[in-house]
Amino acid sequence: MPVPTAGHTTESLTTWLAERIALYLKRRPTEIDPDVPLAEYGLDSVAALSLCGDIEDDFDLVIEPTAAWDYPTVHALADHLVAELAAQDGGA
Amino acid sequence: MEHRPYRLAEEFDHYLGDPHDPGEVFSYARCADLDDREEFPADICRRFEEWGLPEQYVPVEYGGRLRDYEQVLQLVRAVARRDLTCAIGHGKTYLGGVCVWVAGSAEQGARLGADIIAGVPVSLGLTERAHGSDLLAGDVRTDDEALDDSGHWLVSGEKWLINNATRGSVLSLLTRTRPDGGPRGFSVLLVDKRELDADTYRHLPKIRTLGIRGADISGIAFDGARVPKGALVGAEGAGLEIVLKALQLTRTMCAALSLGAGDHGLRLGLDFAEERELYGRRLVDLPQARHVLTGAAADVLLHEAVALVAARAVQAQTAELGVTSAVTKYLLPTGTDRVLADLTGLLGARAFLKGVHADGRFQKLVRDHRLVGLFDGNTLVNLNSLVNQFRSLVRGFRRGTGDTAGAGVACDLTAPLPPLDPSRLSLIARHGSGMTASLPASVDEITRRAARNPALAPVAEAARRLLAVTTAVHTDMEEYQGVLTEVPPAAFEAARRYTLCWAGAACLGLWTHSTDHVRDDPATGPLWRDGLWLHTVLDRLLRRLGEPAAAGEETYEDLLGALRAARTEGRLFSLLPQRTPERQPATTGGAAGGSERTSC
Repeated sequence: MPVPTAGHTTESLTTWLAERIALYLKRRPTEIDPDVPLAEYGLDSVAALSLCGDIEDDFDLVIEPTAAWDYPTVHALADHLVAELAAQDGGA
Repeated sequence: MEHRPYRLAEEFDHYLGDPHDPGEVFSYARCADLDDREEFPADICRRFEEWGLPEQYVPVEYGGRLRDYEQVLQLVRAVARRDLTCAIGHGKTYLGGVCVWVAGSAEQGARLGADIIAGVPVSLGLTERAHGSDLLAGDVRTDDEALDDSGHWLVSGEKWLINNATRGSVLSLLTRTRPDGGPRGFSVLLVDKRELDADTYRHLPKIRTLGIRGADISGIAFDGARVPKGALVGAEGAGLEIVLKALQLTRTMCAALSLGAGDHGLRLGLDFAEERELYGRRLVDLPQARHVLTGAAADVLLHEAVALVAARAVQAQTAELGVTSAVTKYLLPTGTDRVLADLTGLLGARAFLKGVHADGRFQKLVRDHRLVGLFDGNTLVNLNSLVNQFRSLVRGFRRGTGDTAGAGVACDLTAPLPPLDPSRLSLIARHGSGMTASLPASVDEITRRAARNPALAPVAEAARRLLAVTTAVHTDMEEYQGVLTEVPPAAFEAARRYTLCWAGAACLGLWTHSTDHVRDDPATGPLWRDGLWLHTVLDRLLRRLGEPAAAGEETYEDLLGALRAARTEGRLFSLLPQRTPERQPATTGGAAGGSERTSC
């Protein structure tokens, strides 16, 4: 899976998240509608916690494991990550 | 070395008196009688309160004496060693309070602390009749999304299979506060039944059970109960997160129940083997009986070592408690059930008899302990929570990350523990397990020591084999790290094997970090010198991992010597010294029926 390095946008993060979640769910990324809650695809609340490790690994960004509970769709989560990345860059 | 948690547990145990003395409130005979009558051990619980056990459930910041979780572990173990019904019935108050310790306000903590210290039973209301372990399916709800005009939640619905639901005055209640639910749709309400209108709630009848028959396993149904807004624990919508974090603490503390059960079962098995004569020989002199006893003894020490490290890790390695607690809550109940099953073979018919042998304690113990693997997150729930963390566990093991410094503190019995900081609890161990990441360093350490002390060579060899297996197990785990939705049986098997590896890393860490401080103890030093307990424990773990044996009969004979010495000297068979309050056993080799009584 390609690892984005800089200039993250909502679009690039949406793509990354859809690919990652598709991997978890054994589906194709195109099957993941970015506006449908992840729970509706069968990603349960505990499984969603795993995302934080992948996000930290690929983006060097530490987020709460519960981020996917507070931002339950791919779009919402992508927006959250963009904001967090911007805050991190601003703070660095 | 004086280890404070064992000293206080010894004091408490002596306060409770000789359990063989039917004149004592907390005697074996009394527990058997209460069990027969399915009656709650209220007078025994009052003895705990006279001594001050409830204060040990309340953190120091809320007026109690709970600072080190290791201390609670040893105190509850002392109760569980006599009777699991009492340990579960009384210890439930700790479970009831823990959501507040994790996320409550200072005022809630102080108030609840005062109640608990005054002896008020507290309960934890999670499960419901139709939903079992699926917490997000809960139907106990607030009728309106918002508070009513007078600032109350209106709570309705039924919680079922709740320990202390009827006796408890205060209840931490997982409640649906958004109609559509979801992981942010639930909140914890600290419901004080004393403040509710009597016609807005009712208790469900006590449920008859196979084990812990005297416990108050019942339920509670609410119908528009008005709960003040101040009852909200933590943030609205944070209920699931709070409960999952609280369960990390309680699952670790459940180890005390299995430890006490293991102590009790092993003692019954040993006494029987010492006293029973067959074909002109005592049972303890027959090879098969020795084999069963020494295997059980090794497992009891394995469980003690894991629980010791895990209880210290609560404070030393808080962010990884999601792994520690799952390993502990899986390994100790299943391992202890197995110890009891093996000892059943040794006791034969007497394992099943009521009244005839030793107050029927063994059959009661087996029935009571069966429950421990079911409540507070069952075996499959715990393995599943490890499967969910495979990704970070595999990554962490490869990179050697995780809280290795914290693992060192957990394993060094002389290292002071930092106070628990609940804000460090995490639903996932982000960087893997510092315990398994420390394994290579511990293997190096024991290899170095073996170079100076040849008696350690086979132990160091077993440690190196454990590291090789652990590496292989992580390769298996990698294969299943993506299975987050439909977990295949092979992933559960990988998780089971992981718990054995974690346990081995904890035992090896405990021995390498602590042996220099404890090996000179006149009572328990022989278990530590030349790695005796560690050798048998690594052998047990490797065999359960499907590997060839790592220790021979002579090592187990040494362990049997230590087991028999502890009994003769009036000590608990344990890694650290603790005297038991029991009178000395009858002279060994006496008539087989000497301790048997006829039931009336």
